[in-house]
Amino acid sequence: MSQVTESEERLLIEAAQKDPSRFAELYEQNFHRVYAYIARRVRDRAEIQDLTAHVFHQALANIGKFKWRGSPFAAWLYRIASNAIADQAKRRMRESSDQPNPSSESSIAADLEEVERRARLFSTVDKLPEDQRLVIVMRFASEKSIREIADALGRTEGAVKQLQFRGLENLRNRLNEK
Amino acid sequence: MAERSIIDQLDDAVTAMAEGRQLDLTNLGPELSALVGVAQGLIGLPHETFKAELQQQLIRRDSMSSPAQQPETNPVRSMSLYICVADASAAIDFYREAFGAKELWRLTEPDGKIGHAEIQIGNTGLMISDEYPDYGTLSPQTIGGSSVKIHLDVTDVDAFAERAIKAGATLVRPIADQFYGDRSGQIADPFGYTWIVSTHLRDVPVEEMQKELDKWNQERSAKKSDEAFGIKEPKLRRENRHTVTPYITVHKPAELIDFVTQSFGAIEHFRATGSAGGMHAEVSIGDSVVMIGGAEHIQPMPTAIHLYVPDVDQAYERALKAGAQSLMPVVDQPYGERSGGVEDIHGNRWYIATPFVELQTIAKDLHTVTVYFHPIGAQRFIDFVTDAFGGKELMRHAEGDMIMHAKVQIGDSVIELGEARYPTQPLPTAIYLYVDDVDATYEQALKAGGTSMLAPTDQAYGDRNAWVKDPFDNVWYIGAPVKGQSWGKK
Repeated sequence: MSQVTESEERLLIEAAQKDPSRFAELYEQNFHRVYAYIARRVRDRAEIQDLTAHVFHQALANIGKFKWRGSPFAAWLYRIASNAIADQAKRRMRESSDQPNPSSESSIAADLEEVERRARLFSTVDKLPEDQRLVIVMRFASEKSIREIADALGRTEGAVKQLQFRGLENLRNRLNEK
Repeated sequence: MAERSIIDQLDDAVTAMAEGRQLDLTNLGPELSALVGVAQGLIGLPHETFKAELQQQLIRRDSMSSPAQQPETNPVRSMSLYICVADASAAIDFYREAFGAKELWRLTEPDGKIGHAEIQIGNTGLMISDEYPDYGTLSPQTIGGSSVKIHLDVTDVDAFAERAIKAGATLVRPIADQFYGDRSGQIADPFGYTWIVSTHLRDVPVEEMQKELDKWNQERSAKKSDEAFGIKEPKLRRENRHTVTPYITVHKPAELIDFVTQSFGAIEHFRATGSAGGMHAEVSIGDSVVMIGGAEHIQPMPTAIHLYVPDVDQAYERALKAGAQSLMPVVDQPYGERSGGVEDIHGNRWYIATPFVELQTIAKDLHTVTVYFHPIGAQRFIDFVTDAFGGKELMRHAEGDMIMHAKVQIGDSVIELGEARYPTQPLPTAIYLYVDDVDATYEQALKAGGTSMLAPTDQAYGDRNAWVKDPFDNVWYIGAPVKGQSWGKK
């Protein structure tokens, strides 16, 4: 997720409106944001994935209707996501007694800041040295234990823990650089 | 109890988070708590495969007109590339180095063999496995080539190719602007696959592309007839190959192909990745086939060729224009031909000649391309080819004991030679020699003083092959079709 300027983003949107195959660039720019936004609100991984897929399918289908009003493209995606989460919560409510968690205006800004921070963290994983990246991905995305990772990579548990440590350290340093 | 290291403490925290246990962060030092903070942010890190698959879904959806209304009529949901290589682990390393690939996951056998792995190149997944001959899963190196080429759309094709070549790929077709709006070229990886690498420069309408292709074909056929080499479109069939076919090995085979095309109207028939990881290509000049191969990592073996053409002046001029250096200007020779000589930048010597009489009246089996040897001890060389390959001396011109020029018939070809002398130094050469019986010829060649480089072996490309080095350091690739196969050569 590299940062694009407002005018660059506008060009990307216009390009995608003319030629939907250019949507790929907007997807690349915003995937981690949408995912992180939903992950803030939903715990279950399968559900996060379903909702993320829903948001991008909706966005692609409706990209022609998008009108630039000065707010970033991500805000539009967050709105789609927020509606989808609310819809799902409503459906749930009919099935159970869970209440949706309404958020106050003041908490929204802090919330989006956290989403942005996490999206940046997710994207930065891609830039780690390969051995560290593999360990981080297996540990946090595939949710494997140190033992399982050691077996899969043919390394000792100590070495895997060390790579996990270096990977997290590296991520912290890279995030601090920005 | 000794205090746990910071590495272990961090892992304790990550494990607790993974198990959904509450963490007590109060007792952690600042370093550790910062790292635990990063780890907390990573809980729920998305799967790369999910990201890639969703992107594929969106691409597919985009190519459908209105997915919401139209039921899906095509039962195929997606298509993926699954390649087999001789060493999957090394291939993954190579694709990482060369193409910036990312490994997603792998399944490993107890012996280290990779049963299945998935990597991602750009936004696309690629499946890879090692060879499983029992299941018919064979690599290009075993089969002797691959008919599948893989296309990579990249942002900067020149930089991309440069990086790949540094990592060990071979440039097969130079990077150039193409009429269809791409800048592209082809590179071969060390595992037998060819990759078309390309950067899109501009959109070209299909009609315009067709026009450009038609124009290119017209120019090509005009150029061919212009060459007037007497042969319209030589069909490269096995039976058209002569017994003696030069195998020119150079560092940059693609450049040599360009040179012989521009200078002598050569027609390229195919190029592929050879068994040593370099290029193997076959071109025809006039009525003869020339094999061209090599790579940066392969020892070059330049060749001297007596090239009989209809218009020596034109061919000589073109060769100089294409970058060759003159060895000898074109003049009428007292021995019955008008000839000149050039050396190309790869070190091959081309003695270009137009005889005053019909070529076949000089010797019945003299062809456009005739290999010329410069041995030290021409008589011993004639003895060797006579004993080893049943050569028959057709003529010689000698000054005292020194053989200045001789012609020897081998099978349906003629080779020529002259004693090495200043300025013409020995130039050990590689020759592909088509014979009836590889094993018998191999035995004979060893008896005549040759050294074995490869005992007779059936090759995946359909030939039985043996390699012999003669006492003059020439390498003879002795070949015939594998038993039961036939390519019609008598």
